[in-house]
Amino acid sequence: MKNRDITLHINGEQYSLNVAVNRTLLDVLRDELGMTETKYGCGTGECGACTVLVEGKAINSCLTLAATMDGKRITTAAGLSDFGRLDHIQQAFVDEAAIQCGYCTPGMVMKTASLLAKNPDPSEAEIRHALEGNICRCTGYEKIVKAVKKAAQTMPGRATAVERCKEVVQ
Amino acid sequence: MSSRILPDFNLLLPQSVAEAVELLSTHRDRITVMAGGTDVMVAMKFAQSAAKLPEFVMSLENVPGLGYVLFDPEKGLRIGAKATVAELLAPPEVKQHYRALWHAAQTFATAQVRNTATVLGNLLRASPAGDCSCAVYALGGVVVLHGPHGSRDVDIDDFWLSYGVTARQPDELAVELTLPPPAAGSRSAFKRMTRMSEDLAKLNVAVRLEMSGNTCVDARLAMGCVAPTPLRLTKTETLLRGHELTPEVLQRVAASVPWEISPIDDKRSTAEYRKQVSGVLLKRAIQEACGVA
Repeated sequence: MKNRDITLHINGEQYSLNVAVNRTLLDVLRDELGMTETKYGCGTGECGACTVLVEGKAINSCLTLAATMDGKRITTAAGLSDFGRLDHIQQAFVDEAAIQCGYCTPGMVMKTASLLAKNPDPSEAEIRHALEGNICRCTGYEKIVKAVKKAAQTMPGRATAVERCKEVVQ
Repeated sequence: MSSRILPDFNLLLPQSVAEAVELLSTHRDRITVMAGGTDVMVAMKFAQSAAKLPEFVMSLENVPGLGYVLFDPEKGLRIGAKATVAELLAPPEVKQHYRALWHAAQTFATAQVRNTATVLGNLLRASPAGDCSCAVYALGGVVVLHGPHGSRDVDIDDFWLSYGVTARQPDELAVELTLPPPAAGSRSAFKRMTRMSEDLAKLNVAVRLEMSGNTCVDARLAMGCVAPTPLRLTKTETLLRGHELTPEVLQRVAASVPWEISPIDDKRSTAEYRKQVSGVLLKRAIQEACGVA
């Protein structure tokens, strides 16, 4: 087949699309749906600017065929905010000024979201390991790491999440 | 050729292993099989010529039941063709009994790639730099291939034929990697050298040792980025078998490595540097496996 009918659940909304099979998820998000918050960086899975969550897991949308994503739940950086109100991760990036040119920021924010969902109290080493696949060419890493720490501290329901993760580890 | 635009192809979405094998029998090497796609997508974006582009891409997305990582103390570790590198890290037995593979998977590429790339895909890519490939070579194992005439097991020692080429025939689908059950006294380790952690390795090494006290009963040593395929250091292994791991033995082992490898100069390192550090890296992996590092 050269085209496929698919349904994507993006940021809580359902989209029925007919996509060319050689289009990446990134192409479809940006060019067909106008969701330009997800960025095109290297196109080869190294820079992480195109990071989105698929079923809660961070992936590179530039290396993913849209045609194989039928029925999947996808979250982009715009999906974290609530009618223009920034969530705690986005707010932490603003508060810590963890943004220079801003191009890597949506990818950084999405990777942070997937990290904190699994590990609500990460050490600095764990933060740096988690962000290995996200490159900031302005090299503003110190502030980004600070922002992730702040996002963890300001996470709604943080105490419960930390306790739950401790139980899982035990 | 662009990092942005994929060439034209037909997508095949089989619903079962049987259907996938049937499609492979019909279209043979006109098909590129895609599981995670992290390698296939980049290869298609940067194909040097139209002749290297696949006419069909067969995604395993809709093939059920291949995403397992199952451990059995009697039978070993079974890794399905769709199990991702991140999924391999989940069962505690992988870290406990297959330390080299656990370590390779843990440092493999980036978190995003680990969530998508499959362990078997890393082996099938047949790159000499594959981290999981290197670890699996040292641990030993078999790749299970399904073809039109049934299933066959290929020992990992016979799996890589040359750069980018495996023993898989065009009409066969790789469905599983099986690693042997853990033996008493068996231990393993993996080490890699890179500039940045997400880079492909400039050198990687994995060891599996069967120890009786401080004496090495058996050894499997594998090294990557030093030959057209992952390489087993069979001559160096003989210097370990039956010997106590004294500093003198380890020194001889390290000195033997440069004679057994044939690295090249490329953008990640030079042949000269790889030869210089290969023995030291192997020695450190042996020490790490034995818990003396």
